[in-house]
Amino acid sequence: MLSYLIHRILIMIPTLIAISVVIFTIINLPPGDYFSTYIAELQSSGESADLAKIAFLKAQYGFDRPLWAQYIFWVGGLLRGDMGYSFAYNLPVNQVVGDRLLMTVIVSFATILFTYIVAFPIGVYSATHQYSWTDHALTLLGLLGLATPSFLLALVLLYFANVYFGISIGGLMDPQYVNRAWSFGKAVSVAAHLWIPIIVIGTAGTASMIRRLRANLLDELQKQYVVTARAKGLHPFKLLFKYPLRMALNPFISDIGSLLPHVISGAAIVSVVMSLPTTGPMLLDALRSQDMYLAGSFLMFMAFLTVVGVFVSDIALAILDPRIRLQAGRRQ
Amino acid sequence: MPKIENKPTRREVTQTGLALIAAAALPRKAKAELPETPAFRHEVAGGKLPKIEERIPLEPAVAELDSIGTPGGELRMLMAGPKDTRMMVVYGYARLVGYTPSLALAPDIVKSIDVENGRVFTLHLRKGHKWSDGHPFTSEDFRYWFEDVAQNKYLSSSGMPISMMPEREGPRFEVLDETTVRYEWTRPNPLFLPDLAGPSPLFIYRPAHYLKQFHQKYADKAMLETLIKQANQRNWAALHNKFDTMYRDDNPDLPSLEPWILKTRPPSDRFVFERNPYYYRIDPAGNQLPYIDRVILSIADSKIIPAKTGAGESDLQARYLRFDNYTFLKESEQRNDFKVRLWRTGPGSQLALYPNLNVNDEIWEGLLHDLRFRRALSLAVDRHEINQVIYFGLAIEGQNTLLPQSPLYEPKYRSAWAQFDLHEANRLLDLIGLTERGSDGTRQLPDGRPMEIIVEDSGESTEQSDVLELIRDSWRRIGIKLFAKPSQLTLFRRRVFSGETLMSIDKGMENGLATAAMSPRELAPTSQQQLEWPKWGQYYETKGIAGEPPNLPSAIGLKELYEEWLAAASNEEHTRIWHDMLQIWASEVFSIGTVAGVLQPVVVNAKLRNVPEQGIYNWDPGAFFGVYKPDGFWFDLSEASAKSTSITPSPPAPR
Amino acid sequence: MTDLLFAGDSPRERAGGSTTKTIFPLSHYVSDAPFDPYALERMTPAQERFYMASEWRMVWWKLRRHRIAVLSGAILFTMYLSILFCEFLAPYDLDARNTDFIYAPPQRVRVFDQGQLVWPFVYGYDYRLDMSNLERVYSLNPDKPEPIRFFCHSSKYRFWGMFESDLHLICPALGRQLFLAGTDRLGRDLLSRMIYGARISLTIGLLGVAVSFTLGILIGGIAGYYGGWTDIIVQRAIEVVQSFPHLPLWMALSAILPVSWSPVLVYIGITLILGMIEWTHLARAVRSKLLALREEDFCTAAVLMGARPARIIGRHLLPSFMSHLIASATLMIPGMILGETALSFLGLGLRPPMTSWGVLLNEAQNINVVALYPWLMLPVACIVITVLAFNFFGDGLRDAADPYH
Repeated sequence: MLSYLIHRILIMIPTLIAISVVIFTIINLPPGDYFSTYIAELQSSGESADLAKIAFLKAQYGFDRPLWAQYIFWVGGLLRGDMGYSFAYNLPVNQVVGDRLLMTVIVSFATILFTYIVAFPIGVYSATHQYSWTDHALTLLGLLGLATPSFLLALVLLYFANVYFGISIGGLMDPQYVNRAWSFGKAVSVAAHLWIPIIVIGTAGTASMIRRLRANLLDELQKQYVVTARAKGLHPFKLLFKYPLRMALNPFISDIGSLLPHVISGAAIVSVVMSLPTTGPMLLDALRSQDMYLAGSFLMFMAFLTVVGVFVSDIALAILDPRIRLQAGRRQ
Repeated sequence: MPKIENKPTRREVTQTGLALIAAAALPRKAKAELPETPAFRHEVAGGKLPKIEERIPLEPAVAELDSIGTPGGELRMLMAGPKDTRMMVVYGYARLVGYTPSLALAPDIVKSIDVENGRVFTLHLRKGHKWSDGHPFTSEDFRYWFEDVAQNKYLSSSGMPISMMPEREGPRFEVLDETTVRYEWTRPNPLFLPDLAGPSPLFIYRPAHYLKQFHQKYADKAMLETLIKQANQRNWAALHNKFDTMYRDDNPDLPSLEPWILKTRPPSDRFVFERNPYYYRIDPAGNQLPYIDRVILSIADSKIIPAKTGAGESDLQARYLRFDNYTFLKESEQRNDFKVRLWRTGPGSQLALYPNLNVNDEIWEGLLHDLRFRRALSLAVDRHEINQVIYFGLAIEGQNTLLPQSPLYEPKYRSAWAQFDLHEANRLLDLIGLTERGSDGTRQLPDGRPMEIIVEDSGESTEQSDVLELIRDSWRRIGIKLFAKPSQLTLFRRRVFSGETLMSIDKGMENGLATAAMSPRELAPTSQQQLEWPKWGQYYETKGIAGEPPNLPSAIGLKELYEEWLAAASNEEHTRIWHDMLQIWASEVFSIGTVAGVLQPVVVNAKLRNVPEQGIYNWDPGAFFGVYKPDGFWFDLSEASAKSTSITPSPPAPR
Repeated sequence: MTDLLFAGDSPRERAGGSTTKTIFPLSHYVSDAPFDPYALERMTPAQERFYMASEWRMVWWKLRRHRIAVLSGAILFTMYLSILFCEFLAPYDLDARNTDFIYAPPQRVRVFDQGQLVWPFVYGYDYRLDMSNLERVYSLNPDKPEPIRFFCHSSKYRFWGMFESDLHLICPALGRQLFLAGTDRLGRDLLSRMIYGARISLTIGLLGVAVSFTLGILIGGIAGYYGGWTDIIVQRAIEVVQSFPHLPLWMALSAILPVSWSPVLVYIGITLILGMIEWTHLARAVRSKLLALREEDFCTAAVLMGARPARIIGRHLLPSFMSHLIASATLMIPGMILGETALSFLGLGLRPPMTSWGVLLNEAQNINVVALYPWLMLPVACIVITVLAFNFFGDGLRDAADPYH
């Protein structure tokens, strides 16, 4: 077991290095760089570019050096914990990201909770009443959220929430609470704004979760031990919850690790439409304007989260599921 | 507020130098009578702030207002990104010299300016004028910029700004006394004053007392090192640059002369600006401006701003609102407390086609250089249809040239080659010799290729692709196929500059309201940014190092006229040169204009006063709201205003 | 023969005990027909069809039971068929615009005119320009019924780029308008644009999945079959690709598509991009299945007989779970369609003048549409129906895919 752990940890390192190379390449693929984009933007709106300042920043951050040198510079900074400097915000990346991360976590956490709460009963019901009309109807409901493009749904919901409920459009709270300390009023405002993003982002995830749970549960329900238990007179409910469900939950736990970064980035489009103060719009803007450090460092951060998350969930699964431990032992 | 229809008063320039006196000719009030600004009463009583008489200059600027207001209130606006804090400098419009709503230049921060021969400028500052932190605003701030910033090779590696260096020669700078400075050139510099009055202005001063701590020459070495490390910068120049953001306005510690000072430290999604206690303008009743206590900029995605404005989240909004949002905003009026006005935009043409005279393809280059070809293309654009379909018939059809509001306007400039005449267009094309046609009716180039023009745009809005759709249909009838190719901003510009693009579409002439005193640089090949002749413009910009010299006689003529304008000193000469250039411009059709004067929706809170009903919404000159001086806007919270039925302005009659 | 058996030979008889009296011959039927060793195994034709059915036939039978899947399949089939005939089906050309009918609301098809059943018709438009709101106000006038023509002659087009025709399934009354889904800001009929847009939206999904499929099978197959180091490297590569958030990958890849490319090339480029990111799930599934299956006897037999790995993978291993793969692939198509929509929304995918549902929705993505011209959001219905149909069909396929279950 220990050597399995060490083996996995050692493998994480080249994975992260590969990811960093991919990220760096991808950000620098589009022609030009932040400065040329910024200059072009200014010139197209008729404003004179503060060319001296820009040439300055360019030299300071080594953008006049070859690409591989820039890469080393960036990675070196990352290893020291320095995520670099964002030119768009004129601030270190840590500061820009830090504030938004809390909001992102709140939204993501609430979305995942919503997804689980909705998907679970539907999945269980679907599996136990396969092919009934209710099964079809519920699956339809779950799929509807997946099928509708989220950005349009977000805009429509925003508009109607404003017209009928008076909720301010976009953002996660009423404007007067921004930058203020947390209070009851602020929490209520956040809750009132939160339900639209949760519905829009969450419904896309419920469909796949319903399907997974249903498929797994169906597999389990056809196994011999279920028939035996039922023949022996065990109450169907108790039967359901005590054995097959726990088996079917395996993928849920193993997925938690990779779920979080997915929700963070998957929510990006909706966040852009709804102008939420989360990391999604920030990332999108950074990529568009090629704000190298903000985009690259943040992506590295998310990739790091994923890799670590997968590792953690693998360990969790190994603890939970003795078969995996056995297999690992056998492989040795 | 006087409408821009008036012709501006002429700027008087004489040999002996007559002073330009601002509207500060009103009798000065006795000091004791000045009312204290309500927002600061508490602090003045507690001794934290000096009394009003000590905060404003001895000779403050007196504003001309439609109505005297009451101080107080909070103005909310919506912006799209943290960089938009610069809009507070644009809207605030505290300039050394500024434009009046009738587009005349008048001193603002300075008390007066003496101009001699258009080349010697003596600026008289106001005694007792202070920065927003209470420190005096004196000639030392000008000296600091001129000697320690503009000429410091670390801080300004590319030298002084262009408008200070006509013919590459900088001025001689003199400090005459604490409140007087002089700039002297050996030749006239007509760019100096307009640039000082620009929306993104030439800043020839800095808060020296604040910035000296970041300057190598003045700061204690050890202290400087600490500051550099703290701010995570590479060297002192980077440190200085980081904190010296007069235009971008994102440093709350930087002292400023603007009416509202930033109080929120970035990053943030909500920026709060509070009134400047040392602001130099008062109203005729003696109240210190601005009326409004606080301005709040909320950041939201630009696409959602029309929706948020419609929900009543902005008190004064024009930025990020487009003409097609008008109907939605008008319907939202019923549910909210605002009114939508329609102002006119200032560019010479909302969208114009720019044939690239420096295109790499030789055959196309030859065709585009042919005057008849450009004229034919222009004749085949159905401007009336564009006006009807997209702008409800409310825009002004015509070429890409000055608007009727400009004193230099003449109808013949606008209508030259702008009528919709397919017959004449076909005739011109036949005359050139392009009579061969393919099987689908498309004409053929001399080498047999079909005449397909690919028009590239920067992909920023659907408006461009819509206009191109309409033009495509009318060009088809003269045998030319048009392909629209949306691109991306940097790529788009790069391709134009390098000659790969055949034709592009972009905003028309930036300054459609020009007076003779403003630079006619847009009419001549002066900059690489001009999409019709990027290489010729680059040649001029880099003084021959890069680009190509113009080889079309008319373009050369325009360039020479521009240089004449730069060397001229009198208004008559400037006017004559402008008209010569406009004449050539109209006849040569270097850019194909469509419609101009498109209406811009401006959402104004129903209680906000002194905002003009009709106005011009333009970048330069105009600074969007700047020229109407938002420091004079005020909230009328009285009962009378709540009951009165305000007249909803209807759009101007279609032309 | 039975006589011989019982005649005095039983041990009981020899022992002298009494036996039950047997009656000869015993009353059971004996067939005179010659002995047929395969008698038990032969089947009636009906039975033969059932037991000897190929795997695919069984899949089809199982699928048929799933009624919703069949319905979805029929819908999808119709949609894809319509791609071939869009010029015929659409009442207007892709670019036809009518500047007199900008932002016109949809016209409903009616069959009752003043209580009487008549030929299908629509009410004509009454149009007024409201200058205070800058709005075009349309009202449907009940006194102007305009009968719809079917199989009529209208605008010309080139059918499949080959022969000219002007036959349309449905057109407005002569000189009148028929906007069943309303018009957009240039006066273009939305229904026609949706029909033309289907061409691109539906095929992008197919092509993208084809790319994913190929990549997934290739890579997964190699990893699963060879195992060892190949497997480890591939697994890490999959991890890298999966842990990477899709959005920036899309953005960067779309940004490098050269602007000078023609719309067709851009389209192909987009499908490649979409396909290149989705192959990991398929590869994983293929790999795990192969890892298990390669221990099976039939595989060992093939190896012993000297088959090359490619043949083993392609001819023996893969077909055993091809149905699973196809079901997975079917379920990936809606993801592609939605991906194209998302890319168009971000301005990275297709742009006007190309028309796809994503482009149409992108144009509908603003507050004006939501508040004032909601019919422009109708392409959502197309997308929803397509995605739902694919999902149900794929679900049915997957349930049916393991017929031996």
